[in-house]
Amino acid sequence: MRSRTPTPSQLLQRLGLNKLLIHLILMMVAGVTAMPYLFALSTSLKHRTEVFTPVPQWIPSSLRFANYADAMAIAPFGTYFINTVIVVLGILAVQLVTATLAGYVFARLRFRGSSLLFGLFLIQMMLPVHAVIVPNYLTIKELGLLDTRVAMMMPFWASGYATFLLRQAFRQIPQDFEDAALIDGCSGPRFLWSVLIPLAKPTIIAFSLISIVTHWNDFLWPLIVTDSPQVRTLTIGLAMFVQQESGADWPLLMAGTILVTAPLMVLFLIYQRKFVESFMHAGVKG
Amino acid sequence: MRRNLRALTPYVYLVPSLVLLGAFTYYPILRSLYVSFFDWNLFSPRPVYAGLANYRYLLQDPTFHLVLRNTLVYVAVTIPVTMALALITAVLLNERLGWLRDVYRVAAFYPTMVPMAAAGMLWVLLLNPSIGLVNHYLGYLGVRRIDWLYDMNWALPAIMLASVWKNYGYFMLIYLAGLQNIPSSLYEAADIEGAGFWHKLRYVTLPLVAPTTVFVFVVAIISSFQVFDLVYVMTQGGPGDRTNVLVYFIYQYAFRFGDWGMASALTVLFVAGLLVVILLVMRMVERRVHYEV
Repeated sequence: MRSRTPTPSQLLQRLGLNKLLIHLILMMVAGVTAMPYLFALSTSLKHRTEVFTPVPQWIPSSLRFANYADAMAIAPFGTYFINTVIVVLGILAVQLVTATLAGYVFARLRFRGSSLLFGLFLIQMMLPVHAVIVPNYLTIKELGLLDTRVAMMMPFWASGYATFLLRQAFRQIPQDFEDAALIDGCSGPRFLWSVLIPLAKPTIIAFSLISIVTHWNDFLWPLIVTDSPQVRTLTIGLAMFVQQESGADWPLLMAGTILVTAPLMVLFLIYQRKFVESFMHAGVKG
Repeated sequence: MRRNLRALTPYVYLVPSLVLLGAFTYYPILRSLYVSFFDWNLFSPRPVYAGLANYRYLLQDPTFHLVLRNTLVYVAVTIPVTMALALITAVLLNERLGWLRDVYRVAAFYPTMVPMAAAGMLWVLLLNPSIGLVNHYLGYLGVRRIDWLYDMNWALPAIMLASVWKNYGYFMLIYLAGLQNIPSSLYEAADIEGAGFWHKLRYVTLPLVAPTTVFVFVVAIISSFQVFDLVYVMTQGGPGDRTNVLVYFIYQYAFRFGDWGMASALTVLFVAGLLVVILLVMRMVERRVHYEV
């Protein structure tokens, strides 16, 4: 080994350059990825005319926070925010109930037709709601629910993905636990509630975060089932705001964009580790 | 009596999920199939049976061909690029890098938190031909002004760029999780053998993240065939339908042209196509990679 001439990568390693190279590449990737949001942030604080410089300026000459006030005066972002929170939590709450029950059944009970029924849940994971917006729109229309918050939630209330994750989590809990609980007279729904659910907490948290992020960002479905600003969510509000403000007031447009992304972004930056862990956890096991 | 009730428990617990799945996943597919055989549009407000007319029209419609082409190009380019970028970043991030590692990870992953619609807006600014950053920095490399979203040939690549930016961080994280599942003893063994970075990558890392790659690939297929928000915000399908994609086309037929029959036929073709693609991928993969569900 020692007498052989080192390969280029071994040479790099010896010189400690390997690590330096990795840092350099990652800095470039991270920098380029960060740029869009940072530039939008900077633009959102500029004066309307300051955008049109021959060379794009990263630092605004003065920070115009008034752009945010202006954006909020033009579009009811407050209402959009409250609607989004209601819709997102409304989806999550029902998802957790339906998926816990179904996950429990598939993980711990034996019954006729279980694999066929489980198949129906798995196939749903491959059939994205975007594929069936047209018939679902007709259903919602016939139910008389167009332009309501419930309409934005209903198609997501049963989740094959959540069911699958919870089934995995419940299955990992050893049979001994169930036997011991049975001796203490704890079985069925009580066993689910006081043993299985607490033990599956990491999975439940992971799924909850993913569900919140997914539905916070939903666009197509809320777009087609709503009409009025009173029920619309942030992402739709942004698209409407953009169409309304089609002039070249870039700082105003970016202030709107930042407003819409800010709540999740702030949460993410504070609980960065929790988010990262959750997405990793549910990604691999899902 | 009690025993019978017991035997019913599983089904009772499944009722809420099954009712919802039926109403919003399975019934819609059957309904689309049914409606697709009817003329049901602004000229024919009551559905009139038309056999395969909707399908026949679509199959010879040049716009539909263009839409299919756009969608396939988008899928075929964004998936490999996004996955490669995700894997490379993950492999590099898996090294010991100190506190900077968290910084890189946050920077790569944060686009996942940005709604697609908002991401579209960020890129509309960045790609603006006169004031955007992209043209400005490309100018330093000697690239002439590109009109991006207004250019027939550059509009679709512009949307693909935004899509890669938005998605690669999520896949990177899944890859990181996969990499962390590789036992370190394998790398130690490779070290003893005197394997360098590239050898370890080729003979340890890549084969062992294969199951993760399969997972990411399937997720990527499902999500990229559904591209809509970026198109809606950035180009509205233009210029000249050059960025019109399947879901946007369905949206147009249903909610702009009020043609439910045609929109349903498109839905049927979309669902069937997607299922066939996924089944083919699973088939192909099952023979090569062993993975656990």
